Amino acid sequence: MILNQLWSITREISMALAPLVIFFLLFQVIYARRPWSFVRQVLTGTVLAAVGLIFFLFGVQVGFMPVAREMGAGLAALQRPFLLMGLGFLFGLLATIAEPAVWVLCGQVERASGGYIPEKLILVVLSLGVGVFVALGMGRVSFGWPLYFLLIPGYILAIILIFFSTPTFIAVAFDAGAVVTGPMIVTFVMSLVVGIAGAIEGRDPILDGFGLVALVALAPILSVMILGLFFERKERD
Amino acid sequence: MILNIIINYNLFFLLWQLGFEVRLLLKESREVIREVGLAILPITFFVVILQLFFLDLPLASLGRFLFGALLVSLGLFLFLQGVRVGLLAMGEMVGAEMLEKGNIVTILLITFVLGVAITIAEPGVQVLALNVDLVTGGELSNTLLVWVVGLSLGIFLAFAILRIFLGIRMGYILAIGYAVIIIFSFFTPANFVPIAFDAGGVTTGPMTVPFILSIGLGVTSVLPRRSEMGDTFGLMGLASLGPVLGIMLLGVLFN
Repeated sequence: MILNQLWSITREISMALAPLVIFFLLFQVIYARRPWSFVRQVLTGTVLAAVGLIFFLFGVQVGFMPVAREMGAGLAALQRPFLLMGLGFLFGLLATIAEPAVWVLCGQVERASGGYIPEKLILVVLSLGVGVFVALGMGRVSFGWPLYFLLIPGYILAIILIFFSTPTFIAVAFDAGAVVTGPMIVTFVMSLVVGIAGAIEGRDPILDGFGLVALVALAPILSVMILGLFFERKERD
Repeated sequence: MILNIIINYNLFFLLWQLGFEVRLLLKESREVIREVGLAILPITFFVVILQLFFLDLPLASLGRFLFGALLVSLGLFLFLQGVRVGLLAMGEMVGAEMLEKGNIVTILLITFVLGVAITIAEPGVQVLALNVDLVTGGELSNTLLVWVVGLSLGIFLAFAILRIFLGIRMGYILAIGYAVIIIFSFFTPANFVPIAFDAGGVTTGPMTVPFILSIGLGVTSVLPRRSEMGDTFGLMGLASLGPVLGIMLLGVLFN
């Protein structure tokens, strides 16, 4: 059973990385003609990445996913939605602070604002933003709000903010959406929420289980643009 | 005795041969280890708090979680290291050569192919696909989902590069893209909407982000006009709209 899973993941990953390798080799032969040591380095990196992905997904499939589902079921049985929201907030906060890519981003924003927005402030705002959105996501699955209720207003707010922000802030904000959703957080949170949705009576694991990653990606977009707006006004005064 | 020497010698010989690979594996690995450690920390903390105060999971489940966490951490470390030593070098090479040789059509084509190839190897995409496969009981297979996400990201990435060449303002395109997504979401079968939005979130990960940024930097460096900062950044934001629309379209076709 477990070996079967391992084998199917291995096959899947080999297929997922094959196009990249073929592309690279064709490119090397037709255009680039880099030295052998370079080719060897790239191929070694690809093999490392492939083995890493296999371990990663195997761990997800045999460890994270089943246990997160079990935990989700246990959490659903508690029937304390506000506790769930509080824990979600805390988790979002911690996960953002612990993500190194976020620190890099905060440095970028500080530079984009010409030093006007201090790095620490962005980190705080971003983490609070992600915390709030994970809490909202937990609330959504507990109370059964449709995803539209949260995402559509969020998207509309993002569109409105675009028209009031400078190109630099727009660009940094939308890239920030990419930074927060690291693979580990995505994996754990997604499996947990799918578990909760599967365990609460009347929730559909497809309808209510997915969507949290989208919410988490929206949080930094909104918080960076709002922050930029706020500080630009201050700068003008 | 003699046999031992031969075995040892062969082992050393092999190690010596593999020295290059081993050096790559360990190259500046401390930072990556820290990164992975920091990422697993909040999760472990969360699980411990839950177990101590709210849940009563059997010991076997906790052991299972620990085993999974170890594999996931080790896997993520190897993956990130592989991306850093090998795949990024490849991205830079492709970016540099393509701009030196290619006309705009070649550049767009290569961007598309590369966009597809890196997205289907992104861990987040694979995890989403596994979860969807599990929840739908295999009705929406993970292979199909991964490929749809990859293809739609490739198309939008090429489009995002084209935008840089045409010099259209980023903000307008993002606003239009978001508006289209909102409108589309009303015509998509309800059970595809959350998956579609999540697909947009998971495409941006440790594999895609550095690749796309290095392509963007390459393209802007050969632009005839002076580029603004909004040119290179924002590529990710635009590219990740693709999978959202792609999965919505899949939903329409699926029903």
